[in-house]
Amino acid sequence: MIRFEQIEIGYSKPLIFIPSLTLDAGKVYALVGRNGIGKSTFLNSIIGQIPLLSGNLFLNEQAVQNILKIELPKVIAYVESRFDGVEYLSVFDYLAFGRSPYTNNFGSLSSDDIQVIQEVVKDLNIAHLLEKCTSEISDGERQLCAVARALIQTTPIILLDEPTAFLDYLNRQKLVQLLVLIAEKQHKTIILSSHDIDICIENSLEFLIVSEKKILKTKVSDKQVVIREMEKDVLKSS
Amino acid sequence: MIKKRIPFILVIALLLVPLSAFIHLTTGEIYVSLNDFFSAIFEFKGNNSSHVLIREFKIPRILIAIVAGGGLALSGMLMQTLFNNPLAGPYVLGINSGASLLVALSLMSGFSFFGSDIGIISAALIGAFLAGILMMAVAQRIRSQISLLLVGLMFGSFTSALVSILESLSGEGALKAYTLWTMGSLQQVEFDQLPLILFIFICGIFLSFILIKPLNMLVIGERSAGLLGLKISQVRFLIMGITALLAGLITAFCGPIAFVGLAVPNLTRILLRTQNHRWLILGNLFFGAVFLLLCDSIIQLFSEQIALPINAFTSIIGAPFVVFILMRKLK
Repeated sequence: MIRFEQIEIGYSKPLIFIPSLTLDAGKVYALVGRNGIGKSTFLNSIIGQIPLLSGNLFLNEQAVQNILKIELPKVIAYVESRFDGVEYLSVFDYLAFGRSPYTNNFGSLSSDDIQVIQEVVKDLNIAHLLEKCTSEISDGERQLCAVARALIQTTPIILLDEPTAFLDYLNRQKLVQLLVLIAEKQHKTIILSSHDIDICIENSLEFLIVSEKKILKTKVSDKQVVIREMEKDVLKSS
Repeated sequence: MIKKRIPFILVIALLLVPLSAFIHLTTGEIYVSLNDFFSAIFEFKGNNSSHVLIREFKIPRILIAIVAGGGLALSGMLMQTLFNNPLAGPYVLGINSGASLLVALSLMSGFSFFGSDIGIISAALIGAFLAGILMMAVAQRIRSQISLLLVGLMFGSFTSALVSILESLSGEGALKAYTLWTMGSLQQVEFDQLPLILFIFICGIFLSFILIKPLNMLVIGERSAGLLGLKISQVRFLIMGITALLAGLITAFCGPIAFVGLAVPNLTRILLRTQNHRWLILGNLFFGAVFLLLCDSIIQLFSEQIALPINAFTSIIGAPFVVFILMRKLK
């Protein structure tokens, strides 16, 4: 669960103001909005990369300023829009990084860590990739591995920055369905930013529409509603 | 999930170290048998001329080749991981240049303290560290891997220009001392200096092993590693410190040695096919030592005809290898 109270987000000038917003566990939220409207800033503010200008942010009922910096990776996992893979880095070693907030100073995996990895690998059906190099698998497989790594981090909250941007239609569909399933089954709060409104509607995600320096949380079944909301900004400034 | 292949290659590499040391032993101007070698170590007699030769020349030269090769390869690996750039290395990024500049300054300053061993070592270490900090600041602003390389090379040209100006201003004695130093050689080290060199070298290795987890995490990029809880600025500072320690130490005693720090880490990665630094550290130490021992053996072979500087020789082998990596990576 994520709760926003009177939060101002931005660099020096506020870009978005959120009077009050609660995002529940068990759901996937689609963060949409025009380019440059502040979607990434919003995500970066939640993971603490950009300090909040004002207000209170609660992650799972815990005020964010009370969470130690080294404890934060146990609460939030973040998936970047693109992981290009690294030569000679095996998928298994990459997935194992998901345990690094829990492992000792030498990063050695305990039997519990290995069990977590194995369960996620089984759930996502990626056992055949483990020995392969992250630079040699397909974009779709790589994105799946990035999601797997986030799941291996076993956090109550997962944020994904345009996870579908580099995927084909079938892989996009598969990924979003998977996220919905995980959110429900494991009771996680998941936010993904996307320009792919169709797929978000098809999977009946709840929308977070960024427009006019606000965030509107709404359930929509009509694409035009989202577009109208996003256009408000353009109409005003013109 | 350790593949058996990696330990296998590492054991072979480890065995190659004494083998190349043996080759090094037999290629010198004066033939030394293994028998003489061991008796010089275990039953040293001051009046036995071949014992003195072995103790004063052979052993320091072999040990310094191992330290310089392993140390430069290790510091190159650290820089490549830190900058997330397979083309990084202490030489191309100007770490050696920074050390050279400060050594030149201290040698030509005229103060006798700066001409002493400790003076030269501290100057080289400080110079290496300052250059490292500078390159880190530049890397923060530059995303392209090639651009960083160009900045490093420009920095190298700039410092060598400064050194030339210093040379033209300094007296004959200081100039000679500096020119000798820049030739780069494994023969200038004396037996008494070995404990200090080995001590710093072992410290560098020990610290690298402590940083295995951060090094492994840096492979997926600073941002991702940071989001997994890595304290980036602290780690950056530590890695740069170890790199400067190793590269500065070796530059102080052997002069600038090019390309070992760039070529060996890439070779090691290609051979081991892993990004786990637990293995990469060992691989770089072994392969680096073997590489420099063999290079120096070849220099010894020709030493009666010409005195080849080690720097020239490593460049002849290293530069084409770097071109090969460039063509492979950045088509």
